[in-house]
Amino acid sequence: MPVPEVADSFSGSVTKITLGAAKAGGGTRTSTITVGGSRNVVYGGAPDNAGERPVIAMDVLDICPDDWPDALVEPYKDVLGNPVAWAKKCVNEFGADLICIKFDGIHPDKGDKDAEQAVKVTQDVLKAVGVPLVLWGSGNADKDNQVMPKVSQAAKGENCLVGTVTQDNYKALTAIALADGHCLITHAPLDINIAKQINILVSDMGFPLEKIVTFQATGALGYGMEYAYSIQERQRLAALGGDKMMAMPVICDVGYEAWRAKEAKLVDAPAGWGTVQDRGPMWEATTAICLLQAGANIIRMRHPTAVAAVKNFIQQIWQ
Amino acid sequence: MALTGLDIFKLLPKTNCKKCGMPTCLAFAMQLAQKKAKLDKCPDVSEEAKQLLAAAAAPPMRLVKFGSGDNQVQAGQETALFRHEDKFYNPTVLAATISDKLTGTELHNRIEAINALKFERIGTKIGAKAIAVINESGLADAFAAAAAAVKNQSKLAIILVSDSPQAIAAAVSKTAGAMPLIASAKMDTAEAIAKIAKENNCPVVAKANSIEAISQLSEKIKAQGVEDIVLTLDGMNLRDQMFNLSRMRVLSLKKVFRPMGYPVISFVKGTSCDQQAAIATSLICKYSNIVVVDTVEPGAWLAMLTAVMNIYSDPQKPVQVEPKIYPVGEPNENSPLLFTTNFSLTYYTVESDVEASRVPSYILVVDTEGTSVLTAYSGDKLNEKIVAEAMKKFNTENLVKHRKLIIPGYVAVMSGKLEEATGWEIMVGPRESSMLPKYLQEVWK
Amino acid sequence: MILIGERINGMFTDVKQAIADKNKKVIQDLAQRQTQAGATYLDVNVGTAAADQEGTIQWLVETLLNSAPLNKKTDEEILYKYMEMAEKAGPKANLIALAMDKNGVPQDTDTRVAIAAEILQKALERGFETQRLFIDPIVLPVKVPNAQTQPAIILAAMDQIRLLADPPPHMTVGLSNLSQGAAERSLINRVFLAMAMSHGLDSAIADVFDENLMNAVATCDMLMNRQIYSDSFLKVYATANKK
Repeated sequence: MPVPEVADSFSGSVTKITLGAAKAGGGTRTSTITVGGSRNVVYGGAPDNAGERPVIAMDVLDICPDDWPDALVEPYKDVLGNPVAWAKKCVNEFGADLICIKFDGIHPDKGDKDAEQAVKVTQDVLKAVGVPLVLWGSGNADKDNQVMPKVSQAAKGENCLVGTVTQDNYKALTAIALADGHCLITHAPLDINIAKQINILVSDMGFPLEKIVTFQATGALGYGMEYAYSIQERQRLAALGGDKMMAMPVICDVGYEAWRAKEAKLVDAPAGWGTVQDRGPMWEATTAICLLQAGANIIRMRHPTAVAAVKNFIQQIWQ
Repeated sequence: MALTGLDIFKLLPKTNCKKCGMPTCLAFAMQLAQKKAKLDKCPDVSEEAKQLLAAAAAPPMRLVKFGSGDNQVQAGQETALFRHEDKFYNPTVLAATISDKLTGTELHNRIEAINALKFERIGTKIGAKAIAVINESGLADAFAAAAAAVKNQSKLAIILVSDSPQAIAAAVSKTAGAMPLIASAKMDTAEAIAKIAKENNCPVVAKANSIEAISQLSEKIKAQGVEDIVLTLDGMNLRDQMFNLSRMRVLSLKKVFRPMGYPVISFVKGTSCDQQAAIATSLICKYSNIVVVDTVEPGAWLAMLTAVMNIYSDPQKPVQVEPKIYPVGEPNENSPLLFTTNFSLTYYTVESDVEASRVPSYILVVDTEGTSVLTAYSGDKLNEKIVAEAMKKFNTENLVKHRKLIIPGYVAVMSGKLEEATGWEIMVGPRESSMLPKYLQEVWK
Repeated sequence: MILIGERINGMFTDVKQAIADKNKKVIQDLAQRQTQAGATYLDVNVGTAAADQEGTIQWLVETLLNSAPLNKKTDEEILYKYMEMAEKAGPKANLIALAMDKNGVPQDTDTRVAIAAEILQKALERGFETQRLFIDPIVLPVKVPNAQTQPAIILAAMDQIRLLADPPPHMTVGLSNLSQGAAERSLINRVFLAMAMSHGLDSAIADVFDENLMNAVATCDMLMNRQIYSDSFLKVYATANKK
């Protein structure tokens, strides 16, 4: 019996987006990153339809985190609180494709740092590393609206990925990201309808669709991961079906979510759970690998062991 | 996939005799296609047509069982490429390997290590489901001895992994009654292995290095009278393996290509535990029904088993969290007490917002059968009685000194009755969980 | 939803006049505006505008040189000839086949299905892919005496036609014909279109300038889960369809 042909002819594809601007592009990055471009579902059709290799953005916080579990602090113990050294370590030692500066410190409850400090961190990290940057606000709408536009300006021309904007709070950051030539992260709370709506809203402001990355919110393994997984799969199918408002690459926040899980950080865990040193990185890596199967393009991560495992996997698929 | 009207029409006598009660054979075919009529209404249909129609009704991917008793496992009979289209039915069977080079204490300890891979998540027991005995020694005797030891020392289902029909025969004779999965038959051993499988009523793995070769092999094994077949791809790098597994799933489900209509087993290669877990996770998500790993590291197993649980959860049914009291941060007897429902997404949202508030708190999760606050309230799965009972059950009186309960803003309407039922002061929280940090910081204080 | 713009038809006075005057501008303008409004194909129909059908259709097609390949109506006897034409027109050319035969438009479900089955069987034998066929079960004006039973009969026929082959053929209707001469034409058209879409209709020859109709199409597509809902779904649909 001859094996039948399996021919998927999708009309659409995932948008291809380049992050970072080198000298020729008006910035100072020594490397740029291109993601997206898939013309099929994950592992569908021929390997050359898979699009660009997914990448890892390693988190650097603008302040010294006070609630990280020991296993996560360990690899960073000499650089926490020093974003420049931290970023260098991620790039030089751990092979980060991108650095994501997470501005936790500007949050009113976590330090309430001012814009001046955030701008300085941004400028210093820009000087310290050559990879493209992700600039991610604190999640406090008022404070982000005060600080993030200044952060955006400080990185003008570097083609960073800035965010996040939500259905309820998108105008200020969208306008400034547009003016400063950055890419934008649209953020929906595990709700595909809102995800689409926020993309429409920012595109109505004149923000180009081909400079948007979507963040659907991320669930950790065992804590809602499957919701993000299915939203990403639906989004990919919509993109392939020609829905331009759903065709953006996807970013996931795996590092933060995975390390909140009990399984990742519990020290006095039940017998038979294995050591806490291994469990955390395993939880982070497994969450990331799952979301890669559903089409994630950029993954925010924290622990170098997990990063190495995920990079190794990506290398095997995108040879 | 059902037959089309035209497919069925071709199998009918085309006499338009009207004995079935329909004016034409085509009209009858359309009734069959819509499952509004049964084939036996046609008195003149041929035996061949009956068989073809019955075969077409079989599921596109066969269900294969192995192991015995309570520990029998089943794999296959999936219907969807993407879990949101329907759901994935039979959770990936995860197995760990045992080399037949191990003997004595080493062998004993390895089996115990696999037996111990058991966990409980959200009230469900998960764990290793099978042991794959590997004929690494190349010797039939050693293989049979290891298989016998596994059968004696473990209740888990057994997979016998050897390319040698002699070794397989020896091991099967030692595991009679346990219905092991025989892995694997190749093109040159298909007849010999299929014969053993048939005589002992065991399922068998068909192993080849391309989809074309596997489809020929599965046909060949089936022709020997073995119906319970599992497929495996051999000698491929991970990338080609993943793309081929996807193509196999499409061939079985979308093309109903019968030679591919079986579950798949994958043997994970990879040197480190991290690499093994990563590859196994990928295989769990994208289309391996049985996954065999070398690692017995508990942390890796907990992660892999949780991935199976997540991916195989029913997207149409809300995932539930266990109803109980969850501390967030390090709350004490003066900390706020909030309640929410046991719909996982509701709970995770509330938990994350309480955590963001940095006010240590207790969250009482009330059993509303996995529905969100508003749905539960309108379906009477959330009322003052249910909340009061949950408070009693989880002993909130001894948990906090104060007598204040924060309730979701959407059910402000129940505060009067709840106050009566519990005697506690009811504080109406915000409607949106995202406002909880502000609420806890400003209103609670 | 695959929409076929109906306006380049000699039955419309502006088109009839343009044909008489050999005024290319009017035809080209209609083509452009319909495409912009969301038409994937354009129906090009001489109608009663000229005695010289062949010469006129040639002139119209030349006028629209850059448009999508033409669809040809057919009937049973010349099915092969039209398939051949569609094949020659390139791999993207499709064919509309009417569910009618020498006896005219069937009045019942079974005959419509039987004709559709015959067309599909012939297409399969020839290797003409079923997805390139648009079966038109033919709607009649609801106002015509005794024709009020037809819409329900057509819906029943559509339920069966989509089960005839896998992949199923497309189904299309000449929508405006339904409300020919009736009151509330736009309302009749869009309500029937919504009903028919829920029975598998995935194409229509229709007035793409009718905004209410286009909104109904967008809403149906969304309700049938072919478009992901967003609060701006009407607007997105309209934008996405503009070429």
